[in-house]
Amino acid sequence: MTYDASVRKDAAGATAPTGARPFWGRLVQWGPYRAFAALATASPRRQFAILATFPILWLLTQHLGPMVQMGRVSLLDAYPVAPGTPQTFTLDNYMRFFGDSIFWMPFFRTLAFATILTFCTLILTYPVAYFLARHVSRRNQMLMLLLLLVPFWVGEIVRTYAIMILLGNTGAVNLVLKWFGLIDRPIPFMYTGFSMGIGIVYLTALYMLLPLYSALEKLPKSYNEAAADLGAGAWTRFRRVTLPLTLEGISSGCTLVFLISTGFYATPVLLGGPSTTVFSETIAGFFHVAGDQWPTGAAFAVIMFVTALLITGVFQAFMKALRKGEKA
Amino acid sequence: MNRGNRILLSCTYWAFVLYVFVPLFLMILMGFKDSKFIGFPIRSWTLDWYTGVFSDSEILYTFGYSVVIAVLSTLISVIVGVWIAVLLEGRKFWGWTVTFALMILPALVPGIISAIAFRIYARLLGIEPGMGAIVWAHAVHNVPFVVLVVMARLSTLPKSQIEAARDLGADPLIAFMRITLPYLVPAILGASVFCLLLSFDDFVRSFFLGGYEPTLPVLIFAMLRSGMSPEINAIATVALVLTAAVGIWAERFTRRANKENQA
Amino acid sequence: MTKLILNRRHFMGTAAAAGAALASPAYLRRAHASGGEVNIWTYNDFVPEAFKDQFEAETGIKVNVRLVDDQGKQFNLLAAEQPNPTVDIMTVAGHRFLQFIDSELLAPLDTSRLSNWGNINPTFSESDWATINGEKWGAPILSGMEVLSYNTELVSEEEAMSWDTLFSEKYAGQTAYIIQDMMSIVMLKMGYDGNMVEYMDDPEKAAAIVEEAKQFLIDKKPLVRKYYDSGAEVQQMFVNQDIALGHSWNGPAAALINDGFPLGMTIPNEGSYGFVYTYNIANNAPNVDNAYTFLNAILASPEIGASMTKASGFISTYKDASNFLTDLEKKSTSFPEEQLANLQFFRAEANELKYSLVDPAVEAVKAA
Repeated sequence: MTYDASVRKDAAGATAPTGARPFWGRLVQWGPYRAFAALATASPRRQFAILATFPILWLLTQHLGPMVQMGRVSLLDAYPVAPGTPQTFTLDNYMRFFGDSIFWMPFFRTLAFATILTFCTLILTYPVAYFLARHVSRRNQMLMLLLLLVPFWVGEIVRTYAIMILLGNTGAVNLVLKWFGLIDRPIPFMYTGFSMGIGIVYLTALYMLLPLYSALEKLPKSYNEAAADLGAGAWTRFRRVTLPLTLEGISSGCTLVFLISTGFYATPVLLGGPSTTVFSETIAGFFHVAGDQWPTGAAFAVIMFVTALLITGVFQAFMKALRKGEKA
Repeated sequence: MNRGNRILLSCTYWAFVLYVFVPLFLMILMGFKDSKFIGFPIRSWTLDWYTGVFSDSEILYTFGYSVVIAVLSTLISVIVGVWIAVLLEGRKFWGWTVTFALMILPALVPGIISAIAFRIYARLLGIEPGMGAIVWAHAVHNVPFVVLVVMARLSTLPKSQIEAARDLGADPLIAFMRITLPYLVPAILGASVFCLLLSFDDFVRSFFLGGYEPTLPVLIFAMLRSGMSPEINAIATVALVLTAAVGIWAERFTRRANKENQA
Repeated sequence: MTKLILNRRHFMGTAAAAGAALASPAYLRRAHASGGEVNIWTYNDFVPEAFKDQFEAETGIKVNVRLVDDQGKQFNLLAAEQPNPTVDIMTVAGHRFLQFIDSELLAPLDTSRLSNWGNINPTFSESDWATINGEKWGAPILSGMEVLSYNTELVSEEEAMSWDTLFSEKYAGQTAYIIQDMMSIVMLKMGYDGNMVEYMDDPEKAAAIVEEAKQFLIDKKPLVRKYYDSGAEVQQMFVNQDIALGHSWNGPAAALINDGFPLGMTIPNEGSYGFVYTYNIANNAPNVDNAYTFLNAILASPEIGASMTKASGFISTYKDASNFLTDLEKKSTSFPEEQLANLQFFRAEANELKYSLVDPAVEAVKAA
């Protein structure tokens, strides 16, 4: 696909054989459009303004708007505001988190889980992405990648229940183990950190796999070959060549997975056990149980979100430093 | 490359495929169970749940409703997403980082928070709950995914092509339409499939912004109250087969588009 | 499934027959003239399909049902929509009235406009929770209760007669319950008023009791397999044999029993709480007249109540509804008299005090 310089000539002659060209050609020749184009492209600054106006407006009203509104609710003393009463702003909702230690446990637990699960997802998906990007012919890459993504299209709830009948006491795994005579009594997999992890990696793998795959795919094969020519073993080649060059992919994958996994709700609630309560459950509680607790829920959501952002910020900075170190 | 390593890697891949597909297989299997509950042991089998799906007009209607919402929201996401990607990729301007952060925000906000934020905001904007509101929320939520995918593709577009076009007198809009956009087709398709799936699968936003017609996940969630029945598995399986068909078609299409691009 | 369809079909036939008797033509004709629609938020299977079709055909009022899955979401949605809600009728549990009433989300019910009000069993329509501020706020349709359900192949009926079995070492790792509900039951089991109405004037005592119940549940935490939220979860745990016994609502347990699963349920000797789902009219409802027409129609015959029971597993509040149930259905939706004697209803009066103490306690148990 290259730009065809004959476009304009064709249009002038108005005898172009294909359908697309006359349209663009005619458009270019059309008086009002030319006037508009001349006006719009008069200066780079104006060009940029035209390009940027809509996205900026969209981002401010659609992306930022809801969050600002939520931030505002988090500062209210009651929401919805009862008719006829004035709105009162307060920091109490935030203080409630810092004032009561029962909220800290799920909070730190969530951060710890998110960290561990991010790490597990990375370890599990890196070889998969590596295999896809380096050992599968280009023709089949997309298909095999797609194969991995198919199950993500099944709704979270339905899939979670499928995991229950996989890991339950009379679940598929226990049935198979029993059938082989490896166990007498079923192993209680369900409602533990393990079953929760199994369910969550399902949700996070996709977000890790794609950045890793695209980072690995971009990596020129010649680098590895050169290193091999120099006598480097497979492990050294991986550690010294592949890994440093995919740090960016690792960093963006981990960031995405970490942030998203702080917000999982249904899967941990359904697959977790009594001692795996996560913070989103706490937050959701404020929205489910009683109406006047929306502001507290919103405040807790803000706390979680800001903390997660800070952590990923530090992580990104660390990865950047690491990359610089590798390059030097 | 070392043969042993290669085999080991291929084993991890297939082990991962197994991990991903076993629950899926169980889900499909349970759709044939003749009981109101899923789980082992399966004493007898039936096709009734499937015939039920195709003869229940509410389920079919809900399915169609979800598809329409997915398509409309994807259209909006793609248009807005491509526009933002073009603005962000390869340009340096004051406030770039802030713009990028704002762009990615909806993807990072945990589900329930984003749903409630949208609900509160919809009220402020005067958007009535219903199809319009769901389409809007899905569209906003999916924009970052489009932007990221499109930006990745855009970064590999040889600058020389655009410059050549500009040298030949094409204004930016024409250059965009004739060169950039065709080059982006595979990325746009990939992002669209992703958006369609995200929208089709979304529960929280659809629930909070929906009116009297449920989307498929909302219907499933409500049905769950009377038990996790094989009927739900049958619905999910039918939905899966249909979405998989779309996915395979999109992959084929992308591959063809890629070939044409290379030619 | 085959059975289910047959039941539905069967019901449709009889409902059509009952429809003739149901019609109190005067109000139907009037409503027909007005036509329009009525918007309802309710749970899956709470508005029988056959009844809905019949009602629409006879009155010309279109019934829009929005399925919901819990009380909190209805509250949040309605709160977000007021003062111009899209809903006419919603489904609130009796003991949650107060929260909705305090937020001015519900309109009081004018029972004089419901000629079929008398078809409701007075146990439900005239109960202590049903009248607040001197007004009726909802039409009772289905009743549920907190029961102890158990796998009859693993647990004996005798054991199942006490809540203590749920906390025994013998069944460690094989039990599950909803913590919020369990808090009330534990208080009752300890000899206190789980509704906290008695302690409304003595918040310190109330706090001490909640603290005691909380400590009990924390002590017993190592023995529990799962704190769950929804009926589908507890059903799945029984099917997977992840648990041998658990606290549950009777509806989900009844559904398992009707499917042939070896499950039993009891109201243990220490007692338990019941609750009632009611249809309520929203404050500022857009179609009030249609809402009353609908309520009166759905209360018209015990057969409609029976069909709601069949679908949901909860107990009908209609007089004589059990006449229309099969033996298995009767078994799964009824209890011996001596067990029912131990049942009391949740009450709303002290909810503000109760939940201000119980909600943090629940968080603390989960966090422990």
